[in-house]
Amino acid sequence: MRRIIDNDILALLIRLTVGIIFIYASYYKIIDPQSFAKSIWFYHLVPGKLINIVAIILPWIELTAGIGLILGVYYRGSVALVNILTLFFIIALSVAIIRGISIDCGCFKAAAATSESAWETLRFDLCLIILTIFLIISRSKRWMLSQP
Amino acid sequence: MNRLVKQLLIIIVFSTLVGLLRNSLFPNEIAIIGGWRDLSNGEEPVIPPTAEKGDPPFIAINVAQMEHSTKDTKFIDARDFDEYKCGTIPGSINIPFDYLPGGDLKPYFDSMLGGIPLDYPLVIFCSGEECDLSLHLGRNFMDVGYSNVMIFFGGSREWENYGLEMERISNCEE
Repeated sequence: MRRIIDNDILALLIRLTVGIIFIYASYYKIIDPQSFAKSIWFYHLVPGKLINIVAIILPWIELTAGIGLILGVYYRGSVALVNILTLFFIIALSVAIIRGISIDCGCFKAAAATSESAWETLRFDLCLIILTIFLIISRSKRWMLSQP
Repeated sequence: MNRLVKQLLIIIVFSTLVGLLRNSLFPNEIAIIGGWRDLSNGEEPVIPPTAEKGDPPFIAINVAQMEHSTKDTKFIDARDFDEYKCGTIPGSINIPFDYLPGGDLKPYFDSMLGGIPLDYPLVIFCSGEECDLSLHLGRNFMDVGYSNVMIFFGGSREWENYGLEMERISNCEE
């Protein structure tokens, strides 16, 4: 089992997969912060005055962490951040589902213009966190631009 | 551990600076401190001077928005179809107060709302503060036995002014 987890090729594939997902997820939020702010507002979790600043900064954290994973730069920090963010998304979606709030998650598109359901996104995030946890456990250090 | 904290700080500070810089340089800049109403704290609802004891509760826009975002609340527009078609809260059902049939309203409301239970949440509204139609229609709903009626007296105008999505059947000139 340990050998599989530490397999360099598998670790690289998962790094690339998670990194691309985070970069892709950040794209729409960066180009349309107003719509992303609205998506955050619909979750009813962030105080009104803080919504914009979260909408401005969060996508860039996703983007930087995604690039960090792919290049292997600030790797530990990037892995920690993708885990924290994925866990946060899972909690936010779960709370929204429990409260019966009908939302488009705003995960991969800032505006509430997609038909993806909160349940589908939650399932996706639960799969994603398996990959991000793998990155914590794996000891592979190959193909990184700097020491993790 | 130190290295992890250092890396986290670098990424977060870098992202914050780039995010703020990008926000200030591009045309679709947003204010750093948002003007979003805090949905958890509530705002004062608009209550008409004609309100009486025993009327349905009046709700503020933040509550209306929250009700709208749930799957289990029906929104009812009490204005005439001519106004309704020009812009209403998405998903609303048009029940014009001025054209209510005479006699027992229960069968009419049942047919308009698909026979929903009497405790089903209903939010009734019209155009705004100058419009009493929502109040009168709300009283009618209560009279026939609906127990979970709310009135959003800010109406479609407050909804639109607040930047929330509107549904338009036709484009109407002001």
